[in-house]
Amino acid sequence: MLIFIILAPIFLLLLYFIVQPQPVSIPIKGRHVFITGGSSGIGLALAHKAISEGARVSLLARSLSKLEEAKKSLHLAYGVDVGIFAADVRDYDAVKRAIVEAGPIDVLVVNQGIFVPQELEKQDMDEVKLMIDVNLVGSFNVIKAALPLMKGRKDSRPASIALMSSQAGQVGIYGYSAYSASKFGLRGLAEALQQELISDDIHISVIYPPDTETPGLEEERKIRPKMTEMIAGSGSVLKAEEVAKKTLDGIKSGSFSISFRMEGKMLAIATAGASPQRSFLIAFFEVVLAGISRIVTLLFLSNVYRSIRKSHAI
Amino acid sequence: MVLFTLILAPLLLLLLFLIVRPKPIIIPIKNRHVFISGGSSGIGLALAQKAVSEGARVSLLARSLHKLEEAQKSIREAHGVDVAIFSADVRDNNAVERAVAESGPIDVLVVNQGIFVPGALENQASDVIKSVIDVNLTGSFNVIKAALPWMKNRKDGAPASIALMSSQAGQVGIYGYSAYSATKFGLRGLAEALQQELISDNIHVSVIYPPDTQTPGFEQERKIRPELAGIIMGSGGGALSAEEVAKKSLDGIKSGSFSIWFNLEGYMLGFSGAGFSPQTSFPVAFLEIAFAGLSRLAALFFVWSWYRIIQKKHAN
Repeated sequence: MLIFIILAPIFLLLLYFIVQPQPVSIPIKGRHVFITGGSSGIGLALAHKAISEGARVSLLARSLSKLEEAKKSLHLAYGVDVGIFAADVRDYDAVKRAIVEAGPIDVLVVNQGIFVPQELEKQDMDEVKLMIDVNLVGSFNVIKAALPLMKGRKDSRPASIALMSSQAGQVGIYGYSAYSASKFGLRGLAEALQQELISDDIHISVIYPPDTETPGLEEERKIRPKMTEMIAGSGSVLKAEEVAKKTLDGIKSGSFSISFRMEGKMLAIATAGASPQRSFLIAFFEVVLAGISRIVTLLFLSNVYRSIRKSHAI
Repeated sequence: MVLFTLILAPLLLLLLFLIVRPKPIIIPIKNRHVFISGGSSGIGLALAQKAVSEGARVSLLARSLHKLEEAQKSIREAHGVDVAIFSADVRDNNAVERAVAESGPIDVLVVNQGIFVPGALENQASDVIKSVIDVNLTGSFNVIKAALPWMKNRKDGAPASIALMSSQAGQVGIYGYSAYSATKFGLRGLAEALQQELISDNIHVSVIYPPDTQTPGFEQERKIRPELAGIIMGSGGGALSAEEVAKKSLDGIKSGSFSIWFNLEGYMLGFSGAGFSPQTSFPVAFLEIAFAGLSRLAALFFVWSWYRIIQKKHAN
């Protein structure tokens, strides 16, 4: 027992020296935050939060009318104007034009997403393609369009690219094959991208919210397969404001992985893999709790497969 | 202290034996139909050779009819057996559906096609990125969706398999591989969800994570690989032969393993990133738990070493 008490501080010290990339602080005030999928849901809540912290905000989305409503609501709330740009993220040229018009970006929030749950066997390939094209290819388009200006930015302060994943990007769930595929993909992109951009002082964050109260969620829950609801429906549903606040806090501290509540932290530890961890304290917990969290996920999976068996037997 | 562990370990093993789901399974290959996309070269062709040598009936799908005919010839020469060949681009779901229908009900589907074009994201053209995602990820959905009705309605009551060719780049994102890693990570999300959807049909999903493998594709890729990527990836094990990868893959498929890893790095990445992937083998589950912390620590060391390499290169 004594051994542990002695080992722990030595271990913490070791972690302090090896966690890479190093911790960083990314200021928001007076800087340009560009949010895709920013006209509603989490994106709009992020816009609210960023403005309230003194950032200059731009929103990109498909629907001009939704963007104008968002702009109006933000103007009413803060007396501030946001830049709005209508474009489909699948159209690289349109995205490029919008980003060039918006001007150099300090914090890029890649947040657009489509979410249609269904068993793969029943789902139309068109819907599968839509999710992959908007959620994954679209994210590549946005980042690629923004990169040259971000790399060439005048102010020498750290910049950020934040990618909106999901808890469905940490665990694949019945009915989410295409959505999970696109959200898992964002993580591969992020891990590679961070290695490519660290020398430019650009810091990547991947955000893993659970179900969040948004217009999108309402639509999704109407068509969610029963089995999906049984497996995934029991988690917490957060308010968009809470997600926005924690997201922005995570971006400002340059956290690579941003998770929510105890549940989310457990998921993060279970899926840590080879993702960078800039906080040596969190790294300590990841290592120490790794074994227990695998037991927990195995129990969870056991339950999931039991539910599936039971439901199939009926 | 030691006593504590001696009592706990068997208890944990017992618990795991009782709870691991899905349960272990054996998937026979002999006399069954193995359909391999991207089967005309590289790992796909090696898999075809192995499957044929174990008595399976094999079909190959790929784009180039010419390469398919060469593959067919080489298998005939090596084993005296004819494989069926189908030329189609996995991005074209109609063509894939026709090929699958023509080949007949499938017992083991190996979704193996893939392209990789290394390069830092800022240097990659957006249409190249789109084609990597279209072939590796969307294309995999096309192949699986086309095959599913045929797999669900198979006549023999034996377990079937869908195996997805991921990569160690699907366990960790690497400099220069943003699009490729994205697609290979994506295959895992697809697999975890799909297994839950298909377990009731006795269809078992496997995800294969090979490291660098000696294939024609790899030869091409090495020529244009960014220097940093080479240094970072060189810090892992050496490249494996396609035959080795094929053998391990087939063994894993036959034992219904959800995750098929290669070499020490692969296992370390597998254990540290076990996440919510199912584990059908309770002894392996035990090892995952016992080595989870150590694996995460090892992964953190690797990450540290990669960022040091990047910093040093940047300073020069």
